[in-house]
This record gives sequence, C-alpha cells and structure tokens, in this order.
Amino acid sequence: MAADRFPSPFDVPTPDGAEGWESMYDWYHLFGPERRELDEQRFWFADRLHHPDVLHPYDEIQCECWWQALGAFNTRVFAMPPAFGVDQRIVNGRLYVTPVPAPPEDIAARAEEFGKRAGHYYERWDAIYDEWRGKVMAKLEEIRAIRFDPLPDLEPEETVYAHTGHSAGFRMIRDFDRLVLTMYETYQYHFELLNIGYAAYLTFFGMCRQAFPDISDQSISRMVGGLRVELYRPDDELKRLAKEAQRLGLADRIAGDEDAGTLFAALREDPAGAEWIADWERTADPWFLINTDPGHPGGYHTYPTWADDPNIPLASVREYLRRLADGSSIDRPTEEVLAERDRITAGYRELLDEADRATFDDTVALARQVFVYIEEHVLYIEHWMWATFWAKSHELSRALATMGEFDEPEDMFFLRRYEVAEAIYDCVAGWSVGSRPRGAEYWRPIIARRRAIYTALRAWEPPPALGPPPTTIDEPFTVMLWGITTSTVSEWLRTDTEDGVLRGTAGSPGVVEGPVRVVTHPSQLTEVQPGDVLVCPATSPAWAPVFARVAATVSDVGGIMSHTAIVCREYGMPAVVGTGNAVATLRTGQRVRVDGSSGVVTVLEPA
Amino acid sequence: MSGPWVIGLDDPAAADAAVVGGKGAGLHRLVALGGRVPAGFVVSTAAFAAALGDGVDVEAPLRGLDPDAPLDVLEQAAERARATLLETARSSPVLDAVREAYTARIGVDTRVAVRSSAVGEDAAGASFAGEHDTYLELRGPDAVADAVARCWASLYTARAISYRRRAAVGAGAGAMAVVVQEMVDARAAGVFMTLNPANGDRSTVVCEAVWGLGEPLVSGEVTPDRFVIDKISGEVVRREIAVKPTRLTRTDDGPGTVVADVAPDDRERPCLDDAELAALLAVARRVERDAGVPQDGEFAVADPGGPDAVHLLQTRPETVWSARAPRSAAPAPGVGSALSAVLATLTRSSREDADHGG
Repeated sequence: MAADRFPSPFDVPTPDGAEGWESMYDWYHLFGPERRELDEQRFWFADRLHHPDVLHPYDEIQCECWWQALGAFNTRVFAMPPAFGVDQRIVNGRLYVTPVPAPPEDIAARAEEFGKRAGHYYERWDAIYDEWRGKVMAKLEEIRAIRFDPLPDLEPEETVYAHTGHSAGFRMIRDFDRLVLTMYETYQYHFELLNIGYAAYLTFFGMCRQAFPDISDQSISRMVGGLRVELYRPDDELKRLAKEAQRLGLADRIAGDEDAGTLFAALREDPAGAEWIADWERTADPWFLINTDPGHPGGYHTYPTWADDPNIPLASVREYLRRLADGSSIDRPTEEVLAERDRITAGYRELLDEADRATFDDTVALARQVFVYIEEHVLYIEHWMWATFWAKSHELSRALATMGEFDEPEDMFFLRRYEVAEAIYDCVAGWSVGSRPRGAEYWRPIIARRRAIYTALRAWEPPPALGPPPTTIDEPFTVMLWGITTSTVSEWLRTDTEDGVLRGTAGSPGVVEGPVRVVTHPSQLTEVQPGDVLVCPATSPAWAPVFARVAATVSDVGGIMSHTAIVCREYGMPAVVGTGNAVATLRTGQRVRVDGSSGVVTVLEPA
Repeated sequence: MSGPWVIGLDDPAAADAAVVGGKGAGLHRLVALGGRVPAGFVVSTAAFAAALGDGVDVEAPLRGLDPDAPLDVLEQAAERARATLLETARSSPVLDAVREAYTARIGVDTRVAVRSSAVGEDAAGASFAGEHDTYLELRGPDAVADAVARCWASLYTARAISYRRRAAVGAGAGAMAVVVQEMVDARAAGVFMTLNPANGDRSTVVCEAVWGLGEPLVSGEVTPDRFVIDKISGEVVRREIAVKPTRLTRTDDGPGTVVADVAPDDRERPCLDDAELAALLAVARRVERDAGVPQDGEFAVADPGGPDAVHLLQTRPETVWSARAPRSAAPAPGVGSALSAVLATLTRSSREDADHGG
C-alpha cells in the first residue's frame, strides 16, 4: 500500500501545547496564504541533514544564512544551469526545503553564462581558494575580536582620553549587528566555491558511473580524496597528544576513566603533567574549535565544542593510547593513500576508450582541486566560524542576563534575532539614561510560553516530506547531499513497511552484526563500546574518535557524500545512511545486521 | 594431416589451435601464463585424421542435404555419419595411443574429464558454447578412449551441424581435437567473465558459482551465487547468494557423477570466500591482459578450498560486448575539457527531456 502524496503543508496540525509556535519564527519563513497556490504544488522534504531537531528562534539565523547565500550563488551569480536555490519553510519548528529548478527554457542560456563564470573559477581555482582563505580568516579575526560584557557603571577612562566618541551601550548594539553580518558575509564565501565545486565533483562521479556502472562510491571518492587536507588536523592533533602523553610517561594516568576536570587538575600537580596540559591548551585554540552537533556542524547553539567539553577529545586520546599500547600505528597512512589513489585512477583510466582518457584526466584533476575545498571549508566555516558565532552569542546572553534583561542567559535563544536586537536596545537605553528597562518582565511570559511550545514541538514526529512528490528526483545536489532519491521518497510513502527492516542509502559497503548503541548527543559518545553499531541522527567530524570503536554506523540522514558515509568508507566499515527513523525505531542493545552494500538494517533480536 | 597424436598441455606444440583445437590452445596459453590448470594432454587433430583413415567418407550422408530439411531428416543423416565415424575410429590404433597416454601421463586410476576441442570454436566471434561433448569423472583407459571417440562423433550431431551452418562454417567440419585432463575434485565451481554481461562494465569481473561441479550451472539447470568484483579495487561490490539445495559431485567409487544434497548449513552460504574470489580475480585479470580482449571462462575450486585451490578449466574471448567499444565516460558526445563535461552533466536532464519530447 502506498499513498500518492504527503500531507499538504497547510493541513499539518499544530501539536497540543504548541499553539502559537509561529511567533517563534520570522514571518517570511512560514507557509502563508499569499504563497499557498505556489507552495501547495511543491514537494518539501524535512531537512534533517542540517537541522535534525526543533529550531530555537535565535538559531533560525543559521537557516537564513544558507537560504539566501546558496540561492544567490546558484541563481544569480553563477547561473547554475538546472538549479535555482533551495527554498525553505518552517513548520512546527522543523525546517522543510524544496530545490527550485531553473525553467527548462532558460537552461541553455544559463549554461552559456555558467561556462564563462564557473570556467573563470575552475581555471584559477587554487589561487582563488588562497584568496578565499584570506577573506574567511579575516572574518574569523573580526568575529573573535567582538566582546560582549555587561555594560560598565562608568565608561573606562580611555573612552574619554582616546576620544573614542561613543559609548559601551552603542558598541553593544553595533557589535550585535556586526556579529550577525560577519556570519552572513562568511556564508557568502561559503557558497562562492561550494556548489561549483560540487558540480565538478558530481561530473566526475557521473562519468565514472556511466563508464563503470558497477563502480562503488568508495572507489570514486578514493580517486579524488586522500589529500593532505586541514580537516584532518584536529584528529591528527589528538594523535600527537596521545604520543606526547606516552613520551612523558603519562599514558597510564590518562588512560583511566576520570572526567577531564579531575584528571587535568591532578596532572597539573607535577611537571610532566603540567607540560602536557599546557600543550593541550595551546592546541585547543583553534584545533578544538570543533562543533559536535549530530548532523551539520554548527547548526545549533546547544552543542558544545571539543574545547567546551574536553571529555570528548579526551575519549579519543584515550582510544589512541589504547591502540598505541597494543602496538598498532595510529598515523594516517597518507603516502599509501596517495599511492593507492594514483594506482586505482590509472587502473580505471586504462579500461576507458582512448578517446575518453583526456576528458577523464582533465575532470579528475579538477575534481581533486575542488575536493580540497569541499572538505576543508567545513573546518573553517562550519566549525571555526560557527563555533565562534555561538560562543559570542552565549557571551552576549550572559551579559544581558547579568544586566537583568533576562532571567537566565539561555532565555535569549528563545527570541528571534530581531527581538534580540530589541532587547539589546531596551537594555542599552535603560543603562544609558540610568533608568529602568522593561527588560525581563516584558520577556518573561513570552519566553515561558515559548519554552513550553519548544517542548511540545520536540515531541512531534515530523513527516519526512510534504506535498506531491515529483515523478523522479534527479536534481544532483538533492541526491548527493541529502541522499534523497526517487526510491527514498517511495519508501517514505509506503504504509506497509516490513517489520524489523530499515532501509536507507548504501553509504559504505560490508555486512556486520552487532548490538545497537543509540547516540543522539555527543556526551553519550563515551558510552560506546567496541563492536557496537552506532545509530545516530548523523555524525560530524567531531565524532571521529568513535569510528575507531564501532563496527558499523546507521544514520537517520545523509547521502553518499555525508560525513558518515565518507568516514565509514575511509575506515572500511559498513554504513547505512539516510534511514529516516533509525534513532526512533532502534533501541540500544538490540542486535542488528547492517548491510552497507544494499542499504538495509535488519533487527535480529529485540533489545 | 601428420604430426603427433598426443600433445601435453605444457608442450609448446599445444599453442597451435589448428593442432589442438580452440580449447586445447586456450589451456596451453593458461599454462604458459602460469595459471593453475589441471594436468592433461590433447589428442590432436592429426590423431582425429589418422583415426578416420583414408577412404572413409564420414560426411557422405550429409552431402546434398537440403539446408531447410526437416530436423528428423537431418538427425537421421547425422546418426549415420556418427555410426560410420565410431566404427572406423574404434578399430584404429589411435585409441590405443590414447589409452597409453592416459596411463603414462595421468595414471591408470585417476579421474579425468574428456572434452571436445574443435578447430574454430572458442574463437572471438563464435563461441560454439556447449555444442560438442564433454565427459566427466571418467576412470580407466577404455572409458577414456571411448569418450575420445564420442567427442569426435559429436562433430556430427544435428545440433552441431546446424550451428555450423548458422555460423557459416559449413555443414562439414574440418577437425576435432580432444582434451583429456585430470578432474578437479570440485568443492565449488563456476564461470567468470571479465566484464559485466548485464551492462558491459569492463571494470568488473562477474563470477557465478555453485557447490560441487560446475556443469549444472553451465547448462543453466541451477541458480548460482553471483559475485561482482571490482577489478581495480578488488572489492566484491555485489553478492547475490542463491539457495543451493543440491550439488553435482563425483560418485564415491565409480566413474561418473551424482546429484547430492548440500548440507543444510551450506545451502544459503556463499560457495566462494573472499580469498578464493581474490585468487580468481587475479588470474582472470592476467588472462584478460594477455589476450588483450575481455574473456570468459570456467573454473573449479579443489576440495578443501582456499586461494591455491582455484583451477582454471578454460577461458575464451567474450564475444558479445567485446565487439563494441567500451562504455563511454563522456557525459555527452564531443565533450573534451572538464568544463565541457561539467556543462554537459548539468544540462543532461534538460537535454534528455528535449530528446524524449522529440
């Protein structure tokens, strides 16, 4: 049995207790009667890849950043031939998206523009990427330089003697705008290179698939990846710290199970321990500026970085120490990976018709160039920039709470960013005239109501999609990034799902059986036992240590290019990604079989 | 035709397909490549000619037959030809030489397979798949000699004659050699192709295999396990494991074969392990490289299995996909640079829509 369409976005009921949820989000982000005719004809899917959970009102900014930037670069800057942007709507606190196709009659003209514009970038890729790094690092310095402190009773003397000419209150207003705008600007750069990069990568992928229909995704990625990219650096630093611990004779002390706070305090007591802690602290900035969201890193303000919660990187260091004690090598075999990359590239090339080889060479070279960006930008933007943005936002929330604008810092995240600007103005005006802002009393009922709504929304299970499904889904970015294909959608529409069987995308080949370990928050990573099957909403590079322990990974979201799939292929362990509801369906302790070659997870016994 | 009647598979003279037939020459090539091939010898085309002797016109009943003659007429004529051939051959000294070679080169009690190796078969362009006889698990000089004679006679089955007519090699046949080879006590056996016959993908070796001897698979009587192996990465990209309730195996004490039950635990288990598949992949690649064109072939894994137990029974050029150019990687005709490939990829669906729209 299968339904032929998903519910209309206009028929989705509001969960009990969540009445008025619309006030938490910007009006332009909602379905509304003005766009009903258009929006009811479109196919919307839940973007659980970037936003697996309910959005806090403040965190809506994350969606806005890519909504606008991705759209503008596809639609207006590069004239991506088949694809405009990706439109967004929020329903019951969840983000739904729909790729907007370019009108078919425009595609030829757009292709001509794209050829000139993207061609300019492809020809100069490495130089433009160097320039890009400069731009983004400058934004990082800017955002790091912003500080939010409670406003002083009296301005510091330098305001006067340095003729600054403006007040701390003004600077708080100004710096919040700067914080937001700096993040927005960085997102422009994010999409300056990303989608034209993907286009080149996808092209290579498609060529390999066409010539070799049986080739595995892993083989194609191996021809392109394996370069020395900075994305691996945080993990390499952990390996280095493990070796340092060994050299300093600290391995046994660190290998225990105390929490990081207790351990680090004890280590500081003697010279060797203190030396290691000093090294750790130097390394932490910037290398532990790694977001731990289960999904797209930096998507929420609620997840700690490695630096915020040293227990997460410490678990990796302990794992590396254990492997060193076993006598295994923990170094990334870069030379071998590169040699293997060249060997298999030559192998497939040799099987091609002579006439195709020049195109193959040119395309693999371009794909390798762009792939460095595709991997590395995640470190610079999703980790460093977003981690800093959220840290500064937390700093602001603490300053405002200290000044009595909110009862507690977390309250700020229940306001939309425009409301936060209002709160800042209220607070600053009160401070400036030495009077009383409306402040906490004004926000208290609003925030209390929204906290209740937020809780009610989290209990709601969002449908995977809304509206009429297209007959085929072949828009390359949807398939590649979200892992959503024609067959995924028909699976979603099935009402007679087989008991004990979950289907997803075959992310990394192999078959493994083991006990389930459901992990929805990085704090649970320390519970993972060797041989477990990791079941999670999604993974991020911050979860790296866990891959050395688990036997297979099953994720709710993601396609063949998701972090989970890439890392599992690298570790040679099976992965089924984009199952939709593994976290909700499977229980820790259940034995399952994970078939990463066919994308099927089978429950072997109940928990 | 003159020349030796019996030629070892490792003898350089076995390189000549006109002397040892297509299968014999293919096996010699495998031996020369260092492939693991069961020991054996070829009864040459010279032996065939000598056995027929002078003045016996085997093909007389076939001559003057209407090409569109009904099948039963053709069959009767073929039977007369076979009878003449067998009668003549059985009284010839050539079969004594075969008995002697079997005893001396292989061993008086060793089980062998006797397979036809016609001249012109197994060449690229015409496979003659299964048109001539094969005898398995034979033991003793007389049984071997008899099988050799029957292989000769199989040139004149109605089936083989009409096949030759369709393939335009003529109703009569030049010559037939016969391969006599030690029988592998097969734990598992099957066929492979150095491309995927379903889609022409030349980056894969596709292998089908069953428990026991491979004949039920070759003749299409059973559903085999199917493995798709990536030539370059060595990865087994697909495994389709069939339920295999029975296997063809040698009888305990006599000549011949028997259908036996597969142990319940083994029925749904892959009949080849990764090490055996890797060994098969390595030898298949070597054979393909040497030949310069995609190959298909048969193999058997001797009991109790393992990578060193993988024996090649024959290989030959693949005839269908090899006739075409490899699948193209270009997203559209005329694509040269990476940029043009990107553009062709990004505009593909609109081009296809336009094509379909006519």
